[in-house]
Amino acid sequence: MISPKSWAVALWLSRFLCQADREAALGDLTESGEIGGGAIANILGLVVRRWTTDLFDMHVWFAVGFLILPISCMLSAIAQNTAGIGAVYSWMYLNNWDWALTRNPGFWHVLRETAIYYGIACLVLACWSWSGGFLIGRLPNATLRASRIAFIVLLAASFLVDVRGRLIQFWMSSHGVPLGPALPDVHAPITANVFYHLIFPWIVLAMLVIFPGFSGIRHGNRSLVLERKIRVVLVTAATISVLILLIHVPGVDLLFGAAVREWLWRNTSAMQVLPLLSCWPLFYVVANGFGRYRGRNAAVAE
Amino acid sequence: MIGEFEYLILSSATRLGVDAYGASIRSEIEKATRHKCSIGALYTTIDRLELKGFVTTWMGEPTRERGGRSKRFVQVTATGVKEASDFFRAISRISKGASWTTNRTAR
Repeated sequence: MISPKSWAVALWLSRFLCQADREAALGDLTESGEIGGGAIANILGLVVRRWTTDLFDMHVWFAVGFLILPISCMLSAIAQNTAGIGAVYSWMYLNNWDWALTRNPGFWHVLRETAIYYGIACLVLACWSWSGGFLIGRLPNATLRASRIAFIVLLAASFLVDVRGRLIQFWMSSHGVPLGPALPDVHAPITANVFYHLIFPWIVLAMLVIFPGFSGIRHGNRSLVLERKIRVVLVTAATISVLILLIHVPGVDLLFGAAVREWLWRNTSAMQVLPLLSCWPLFYVVANGFGRYRGRNAAVAE
Repeated sequence: MIGEFEYLILSSATRLGVDAYGASIRSEIEKATRHKCSIGALYTTIDRLELKGFVTTWMGEPTRERGGRSKRFVQVTATGVKEASDFFRAISRISKGASWTTNRTAR
């Protein structure tokens, strides 16, 4: 019996399946005329079975433990930092806007410098997310669905538990550094603002980590069909980007030895330039898009 | 050794030949067993069989009777045929002398 509502539910549920499963299952149900409650039960059954299979797949847990968890934690720590800086600047310029300042050339100079500095920080974070996603996308197709879910869940979880703060606390307790009295919040007017405290960080996470990360996953998965040489270059570039990301996570330097910390401290200017190397995805995405555009045009011309 | 549901899929796919795909295999199994066969059980088992190398699958072209969606075709490999025949022989051997094979009621 035709039941558009049941079929709509089945269609919605099928979104949780991969493309091939969705095609095959929905096609089978259409062909057998089973588009009522049975369709919902069948699709739901397939979704549950797929998820259960992923849950018991050791490859998925291996990927989560050794790749997705570290990448998610690092990206979430940097995103928190970027969101914090962005909140301060936005509050300064938007919430305390004064037209009189626009007549001051110094104001425009500082605004330009701030915009460039913050713009680069956002771009680098998006590129790090893309590179991390690219490495996740290189995982076998069978684990990709679970990897995507794990990536988003772990990002949100590490964002909620404040990985950066916990890392510093862990280092302090493991080195016997006493926790001092709580310092007054110098950003109290900003943290008191619900938008900057609760909403803005999630916008930063979505725009600069989740979206570029998922784009990286898609490109990483597509790259499986590229030539071996190109694949090696791309994976090496993404790995280097993730390593650069690692040394820029606030608090991570505490886990290194004193000599490494001192070296990093002495080479601060070089460390600031290093993230720019991570911007390679920008060129790759543009070149890839251009290549696809040319390919499409050539196909139309033929 | 394969399981009974895996055997049902291998047998149906072999019987159907080039017409072996999700819906047709499911229909064959339902006719033979007189039980409902869920799509979830069917496709997860087909995946398992493919992983073991007993079948190969591929997506066909979209068709109108399927609402413009593709079929997932299934072909049994030589290893799959051997596994299915091994299973059938084992079932035949173990069933010899069992009450239901000689129309006797079990005591």
